[in-house]
Amino acid sequence: MLRHLIIAAGLLLAPVAAFAQDLTGTWVRDGARSDVVPDSMYWTVRGVVTGGTRGPTSNHVIEISQDAGTMRITDPARPLRVYTLDGQARTVPADTGVSEAVIKAVVQGDAVVVERSQTYSGLPGSATLQTTEYWTLAADGNSLVLTTIRQTPARRITYNEVYNRQAPAPAR
Amino acid sequence: MTDISRRQLFAQGAAAGVAAGAMALPGGAALAQEAAGGAAPAPGSSAGPGLSGVWGEDFLYQWSAPDDLVRDLTPGASSIRLSGQTTPRFSNAEGTDYATYFQNLKAGGWSAVESASNTWLSRGKMPESEIREIKDAAAANDVVFYGLHCAGNIIAPDPDADRWQRHIIDSIAAAEEMGCELILTHAGSMYANRNWAHPRNWTREAWDRSVNALKRICRDTAGSNVKIAIEAVNTESVNNPWAHVRLREDVGDPRITVGLDITNMVFPSVAFRMSEFINTTFDLLEDQIAYVHGKDFVWNEMLPGMNWAMQGTGNMDYEMFLVRLSRLKTNPYMLIEFLNEPEEYALAQRNVRAIAQGVGVNIYGNQG
Repeated sequence: MLRHLIIAAGLLLAPVAAFAQDLTGTWVRDGARSDVVPDSMYWTVRGVVTGGTRGPTSNHVIEISQDAGTMRITDPARPLRVYTLDGQARTVPADTGVSEAVIKAVVQGDAVVVERSQTYSGLPGSATLQTTEYWTLAADGNSLVLTTIRQTPARRITYNEVYNRQAPAPAR
Repeated sequence: MTDISRRQLFAQGAAAGVAAGAMALPGGAALAQEAAGGAAPAPGSSAGPGLSGVWGEDFLYQWSAPDDLVRDLTPGASSIRLSGQTTPRFSNAEGTDYATYFQNLKAGGWSAVESASNTWLSRGKMPESEIREIKDAAAANDVVFYGLHCAGNIIAPDPDADRWQRHIIDSIAAAEEMGCELILTHAGSMYANRNWAHPRNWTREAWDRSVNALKRICRDTAGSNVKIAIEAVNTESVNNPWAHVRLREDVGDPRITVGLDITNMVFPSVAFRMSEFINTTFDLLEDQIAYVHGKDFVWNEMLPGMNWAMQGTGNMDYEMFLVRLSRLKTNPYMLIEFLNEPEEYALAQRNVRAIAQGVGVNIYGNQG
């Protein structure tokens, strides 16, 4: 599966291959090269549009700070994420502060892989939501691909997002 | 049923709500319970139905659940039969291939079904052979045809109220004929459309209209075993479990039961306290519950705008809900509803079955 995802990511960035990198930087979402992302908080029905989706024109900026042991992601759409990249499961409060989430983060080959398991709503009693994120960097250091898999008992969805580095990449 | 009477709750609420300076707002009764035994109640003060106070009752609405909330997820022995508002909806339209219809229900994991009263009654007198055919097809596929979901508004502005009351009476007769256990109706609204909240729906006048309408329906169907299940809706006077209890008392007929729709009773005071609200509702109503609706919701707007969500993904504590259902004395029917596409019903059923499995609750049949 990982290989498949990385191949998919690589196709988005073709002809540049992806490889493990320091993801530190400020990144701007490239809507034209990204999938439309469903609302990560709500799964509304009966035609209700929540506004939480990210589409072709979304101007979404995230900041990443990474060292050998941690990756820190500042995303205006959600609370600060600080991941320890040791593959150990950690139980943390879900964003609601009501229930808990179990998180594992690790460098796997070319990707930083973050797994998260919690109730869908972050409240007691709802279905389990498991997300897996694959963060990979293009060889030129100026694009990163985030592939996300969201799995509930009802369905599994996968989408890719491409981010471009806001400032020029430092000389290698 | 847990021994919580409406009058006890009101009495406790009145005593303590006053002591805490509570107004007659949701949550008042509970905050009163914490302070009970304190200052004497002030004359003329009252408290309303609601959940227990948590913190800051004197200046905050009690909208967050307590940090030390413990959920008892011990399942009961009853199995839940799922019903769905999938299309095509079940009806007695001429030419319906009942055998195939019920086979498809079973194959899709649905082991119970209901039908809409408008369509059903529009057919007029059905041949006995067709009634037998429906019953045989249901039995052959182990699907229970349990009820008619009624249209209309029993307290609509006159003269429509009378017409809709007669519609309910005719629906009860049709349900009896089909061997159904229940019909579903509502307390109604003072507007013609009962989904519109009329400013006077919570007056004595509106309440008396609902009570009198139901008394008439009970009287005109006396001798029937068909339960008259009332569905709470936020736009109507019966929009909380205490109102359910009171309606049954005031109508004075045990056939007045509950078509439990928890999400139809949600407002900000309970939107993030669903575990407690579900428990309180079952404590109050469990021996009156004829069947239940399974929906979900989120609060995702600036105004207290609740929107429907995929079952198992919103604020509803489905674990608690399913566990409490499994503790009912008879196997309950749960209608999965308020989705659009048939595929969505399959997704909802997957979520519900997975959550049930996680807490050891048995759902009847298998989803293909």
